[in-house]
Amino acid sequence: MKTQRVIVVLHLLMVAVFGLLGWRLFYLQHCQADRYADEAYRSLHAFTRQEPQRGRILDSGGVRGRVLAASNKTQTVFVDPVMLGHWDNVMETSAALQDILGIGAMEICDLIAQRRTSRFVKISEGISEAQREAIVAANLQGVGIDTQWRRYYPMGALTSHVVGFIGGSADPNDADKIGLSGAEQAYESLLKGTRGNHVFIVDKRRYPIGLDTKRSIAARDGSSIVLTIDSTIQEFARSALMKQIQAYQAESGVAIVMNPWTGAILAMVSLPDYDPSEFWKVEGGRLRNRAVTDPFEPGSIFKPIVVAAALDRGHIGTTDSIYCEDGYYAKYRIGEWAGHRFGNMTIKGILRESSNIGMAKIGQKMGQKALYEGVRLFGFGQPTGVDLPGEDAGTLRPTREWSSYSVTRIPYGHEISVTAVQVTRAFAILANGGSPVKPHLVRAVIDDVGNVTHFNRQVSLAGHLIKPEIASWVVREALTEVVNEGTGKEAALQKWQAWGKTGTANIATNGRYDTVNYTASFVGGAPADVPRVVVFVSIRKPNKALGKGYSGGRVAAPVFREIMEKTLTYLEKSGQ
Amino acid sequence: MSRCRLIFIVFFLTVVLIGAVHMRVSSSRVFFRCRRAIVEQDNLRLQLGRKQLKLEELLNPSVISEHVENDAEPAP
Repeated sequence: MKTQRVIVVLHLLMVAVFGLLGWRLFYLQHCQADRYADEAYRSLHAFTRQEPQRGRILDSGGVRGRVLAASNKTQTVFVDPVMLGHWDNVMETSAALQDILGIGAMEICDLIAQRRTSRFVKISEGISEAQREAIVAANLQGVGIDTQWRRYYPMGALTSHVVGFIGGSADPNDADKIGLSGAEQAYESLLKGTRGNHVFIVDKRRYPIGLDTKRSIAARDGSSIVLTIDSTIQEFARSALMKQIQAYQAESGVAIVMNPWTGAILAMVSLPDYDPSEFWKVEGGRLRNRAVTDPFEPGSIFKPIVVAAALDRGHIGTTDSIYCEDGYYAKYRIGEWAGHRFGNMTIKGILRESSNIGMAKIGQKMGQKALYEGVRLFGFGQPTGVDLPGEDAGTLRPTREWSSYSVTRIPYGHEISVTAVQVTRAFAILANGGSPVKPHLVRAVIDDVGNVTHFNRQVSLAGHLIKPEIASWVVREALTEVVNEGTGKEAALQKWQAWGKTGTANIATNGRYDTVNYTASFVGGAPADVPRVVVFVSIRKPNKALGKGYSGGRVAAPVFREIMEKTLTYLEKSGQ
Repeated sequence: MSRCRLIFIVFFLTVVLIGAVHMRVSSSRVFFRCRRAIVEQDNLRLQLGRKQLKLEELLNPSVISEHVENDAEPAP
């Protein structure tokens, strides 16, 4: 009886044990199946994230285009202090690294001592191939080599505002860097590429012995972009502008060189500038591309635009004569530049001598509506759509907000603000015979395998904003006279006939114009018969106290001349 | 006859097994060498890129302008 009971108990015990085993089996095979399958998969596979190479930014100069921005990998030696553990190991490792890297052992010890609990202490960045091989051969415990993409800007500050720079992503979980300025920002989606993942089958030493092609995704490098910028012309513009800014102790300056037939920007300089590799070292103002972000009152450089609009709509004729009130238009409280006194003047004479009163009367002949529409037609008060971030639209108030004075002020560039790109485009329209152009910076996009995916062709100009004969008269008759006999004599070229307009605009401070701060500008083109380029130059706040002058004709026109002469010679010699 | 057949089968299976293992090891070794070659190729490409960037820095029009200006300055 007792034996039988023992047998029953043993049976029950066995059933219970097998039951437990069965439950455990079920638990492992069913409930924990995913976890163990994942662990098994991980032990058999290794995963590497493949960061794509960011696309290059090239200029359109030379035979193949110069590199303005490119990514390359740099190798960084780091130490894991936790893995090193005891201080003796730290000393030993530091001594070994000293011989390879040429950095003092004590210096390395100091770096490690400062962050003893960290898992990553950077020792040296950008090591050479020989140093990398020496570190690998030394097989040092707790020492690793990290490889990361780094962005290089071989042209330095020369193209800083156009190319821009990259920096930390807004997403804290994303270690990537994204374009924060210039073309780097505007073309971020094209340049960045897509990340890949490699899944390797590994042996027990975790050496790769095969590639899991089903789970692997290849990285796709970013597309490269070719800009319309030519570094050589950019250098002409930058050096000429910088020289003048220094000579006149000015606050800042902008220069743009544009092809008037296509709207392609050949050079765009905004000073002061910065080195994109070290953008964080400069104060915010230098990072601004003033050519697109800073609106300013244009002053007299605005006059040819209003004259062209008035001629086109028939409000005035090219042979008309306007009485310029002998120097003071009392009813509207308008005087002439530098106290000049003019009587009857032709339209050409008004532009040549830059008469404010003559322009005010042209504005009155046009009336509010026609003046507003004419100015708007040239693109003022709206962004040009240039492919750079942060473009300002300028200010052209609707006519309902105009005072009775506005119609006399806007024609000579007051009560309106414009950007450098807007003015350059407006003059490009005059230069090409009245056809619209869109300022642009990208000439072509090349994908990661070298195919051209987008090409900005030299488009044939369609339609006219103003009549070609009007545009031609303004450029060839009126604006050449400004250079030959008027306020822009300093812009005259030896070999070519230049045309253009000077501008000297007061800068309003605390809502009032003062007699100290001015913006000196010159915008024009050459040659006059078939203009090849339009050049805009603007210098803000030249130091009047130097006694060397502060007008557009004195300060900006010589910069125009230097840029234009060098650019035309360069284009001629290079057969472009 | 049956013993010979057995020996043959055992021998054949052993050869197939050894062959399979050998081919697997060879495949792994070739793959590993291939990966090393790819990494080496990447390294060379990066070195070339580094040199090209250095060259671009030297051909920077600003740098050339500076050289030209320095050369143009009369000797003291």
